[in-house]
Amino acid sequence: MTHRRQFLKSALAGTTAISLSGRMPKFLSGASKLASCGSENILVVIQMSGGNDGLNTVIPYGDDEYYKNRFTLSFNKNQVLKIDDHVGLHPALSGFDQLLQANQIAIIQGVGYEHPNRSHFESMDLWNTAHRTDQKSNYGWLGRTVENHFLKEDLAAIHLGKGLQPLALKTVTRPVPSIRSIDNFKLRSMKGDRNIEALTKAVETHRPSNNHLLDYIQNSAQIALSTSQRIEGLKTRPSNPTGYPATDLGTNLRVIADLIESDLPTRIYYVTLNGFDTHSNQAATHQNLLNDLGNSISAFMKQLELGKNADRVAIFSFSEFGRRVRENASRGTDHGTAAPVFVCGQKVNGGVIGTPPNLVDLDQGDLKYQIDYRRVYSDLLKNWLGVAPGEILDGQFESLDLFS
Amino acid sequence: MPPIHEHNNVAINMFDNVNPDEAWQPFEPEKDKPWDLRLASHLYRRAWFGGNPTQIQAAVKLGFAESVASILKPRRNENFEAEMNTAARMVTGGSDSRQLAAWWILRMLKTSNPLVEKMTFFWHGHFATGAEKVLNSRAMLRQNQLLRKHALGEYPPLVQSISQDVAMLVYLDSEENRKTRPNENYARELMELFCLGVGNYSEQDIKEVAKCFTGCEVKKGKYQFNEYQHDHGVKSFLNRSGKFRGDDAINIIMEQPAAGRFLAKKLIRFFVFDDLAISDRLAEPLAEHLRATDFNITKALNLIFSSKLFYSDAAIGKKIKSPLELSVGFLHFLGATTNITEVSRKLAAIGQLPLFPPNVKGWEGGKNWINASTILARANLTSGILANEKTKYDQGELSELFGIDSPLGAIDSAPWVNDYFFASPLTRESETQYLNWIKRTNAQPKEILAYLTALPEFQLN
Repeated sequence: MTHRRQFLKSALAGTTAISLSGRMPKFLSGASKLASCGSENILVVIQMSGGNDGLNTVIPYGDDEYYKNRFTLSFNKNQVLKIDDHVGLHPALSGFDQLLQANQIAIIQGVGYEHPNRSHFESMDLWNTAHRTDQKSNYGWLGRTVENHFLKEDLAAIHLGKGLQPLALKTVTRPVPSIRSIDNFKLRSMKGDRNIEALTKAVETHRPSNNHLLDYIQNSAQIALSTSQRIEGLKTRPSNPTGYPATDLGTNLRVIADLIESDLPTRIYYVTLNGFDTHSNQAATHQNLLNDLGNSISAFMKQLELGKNADRVAIFSFSEFGRRVRENASRGTDHGTAAPVFVCGQKVNGGVIGTPPNLVDLDQGDLKYQIDYRRVYSDLLKNWLGVAPGEILDGQFESLDLFS
Repeated sequence: MPPIHEHNNVAINMFDNVNPDEAWQPFEPEKDKPWDLRLASHLYRRAWFGGNPTQIQAAVKLGFAESVASILKPRRNENFEAEMNTAARMVTGGSDSRQLAAWWILRMLKTSNPLVEKMTFFWHGHFATGAEKVLNSRAMLRQNQLLRKHALGEYPPLVQSISQDVAMLVYLDSEENRKTRPNENYARELMELFCLGVGNYSEQDIKEVAKCFTGCEVKKGKYQFNEYQHDHGVKSFLNRSGKFRGDDAINIIMEQPAAGRFLAKKLIRFFVFDDLAISDRLAEPLAEHLRATDFNITKALNLIFSSKLFYSDAAIGKKIKSPLELSVGFLHFLGATTNITEVSRKLAAIGQLPLFPPNVKGWEGGKNWINASTILARANLTSGILANEKTKYDQGELSELFGIDSPLGAIDSAPWVNDYFFASPLTRESETQYLNWIKRTNAQPKEILAYLTALPEFQLN
């Protein structure tokens, strides 16, 4: 503990930080008093974009209907990684299989919502805001969490990755930082620190203008400078973890593990895994994606176990919808509805929640959902992040007992 | 005049002096506000990738109506076209389209028709197709040529052509559409993202339209229609019934009232402002204009660039520069060429490499361009261009272009910055700070430009 405290004190007070402008910008003073985190729970969200084929992720291999609908895209009982007599995991998910043996993964079946929307963008917006899209929300569900509960800390949530910031993190006042990669999260400049000087000055002297876009950029610049300074100042102990796939997800999770070990006060990390929109020739693509997902998460958990924070990290992964029960003529699947989601971690009550999908009682060829996605969110908020879910989700939802 | 948009719980009166009924009336410089350097800069920033001081001064001299006409008028440059075609052949052939992306950036920079490139880019975002999935640079080039050919023409023929475009069909997994269990993807995106928008069709409509497109195939890199895989039965959607094929489906979709509104809103978002909600009432006159002109894009742009709305405070400085506008605009302003491959690498890092859109919806734009990473990377991109030894200026040295004795006006004066360089003028306080900084450090044009391009004001368009 002593070590950690000293490290935090020096890193966040800026004395060991690589100085950007030669002196501490005003808005950074006071940062060290926020450094008392270190015992609070952390949520890592993996958004699987494109619509993951739930039926070929948690496979109902004991159901004949599955084989009737999946003429080319099916796995038999000898191929799946069996969970019980009815369902098994996709063969690429050996990472999940190990977590299941260790009781460190909750597999929640049939998660979805009323009146499913089969547009990627509409459905993802709904998952990201916890509101229907006809009731437009200015916030993402995690952005609202940050703004209602963690606003004193600019680094309360971080999006890591190359793409757009997911709507889930959208705030109204202080934007959540998106970091493409730690390496290029630095200002290079031609001579001296001219860029930094310009930006720092602009940030320090800015007063709200009559152009809200300009104010938004100013706010973002301020957060960029403070975040950049604090992250450059972090001393991540050189770790040499093994087992991560050489993918964006693997890289991002490794960086997150390093950031967690360096005691950043971040409570929410968000990453995206793209490519699940498998309308044609699904088998190989899906195999690679699940391989990436399972191996990245399992390597991440192993790295955390070597440090001191493993018990305060949970990983949640979801997709905007599952896919149509019956495969199409292009050896792929079209947009569907409910699908399983996953929550992993040492404190998770491992096992399968819910029943295998009913492949006969369908709605326009799609699965009916059994568990409202907001029940999962409610558990993550209340029983993991320790915040009241009511105002974020606009209602109360029964617990799924995800955490011990 | 009622407030139209709620932002941060503060009602923002959208048009200041323009209401939705007046928005599309012609802007009158004599009555509204004078046609000056700032307004001309605004037109060039939005319609082109910005103008340089010489062009802006010329536009003010030319007059308002003449400047809009001149922006819309195509210029023939056959030598340039021939050179670009030769270059295109050299960078295509394999699966990787990154060199083709650099080729397009160069084209945007060097063309005599920047509006054509800008609209081509609009269509590329609209019919977003990602080279990382198509894995065929020739097919990406053919689609690019198709978009350019139709860029300022009529919209329905473009929809028809893109529905038979190889890169598009590969990207949307529609290389095979068989009558048994048709693939719904193209039908869905056609209505959701290309023509109508969510809420203007049902899930059943998608299934029926998908039947119209059965038999469409890509075989050996070419589009073909396979009679035997086409569902010849009756399809019923959008209150019509018949033995429709794909082209009929497109005609029926384009006749929907939602089609004009959908494109009108998208054009407003691209050319006028980023962040305010676009009401049906505001979009309707442009939508009606589109319907009445067979969706003629040149005529629609003429309406936009001539409107009161376009020159109102709701529009000026109310867009965030896309990474392409940022980099191509900056190079054009300097009259510079540089290592374009390097620029395209950096564009990828801040989220907008042409031919590599994030998904089928294209680039969201607006506030999405700005986050903690990109705000630093954007400043690094412009300072990187200035620092790069390969950056050459058409007119010799930067100091000659923007120095104290420059005929264009000295860079170290606030009017220069506000007239030509920034869409939103510096506050008095930042202005003083900036001028003091120049004096104190004796900064040279290169350093001054690096300073200016790092500022939040430069991020606005």
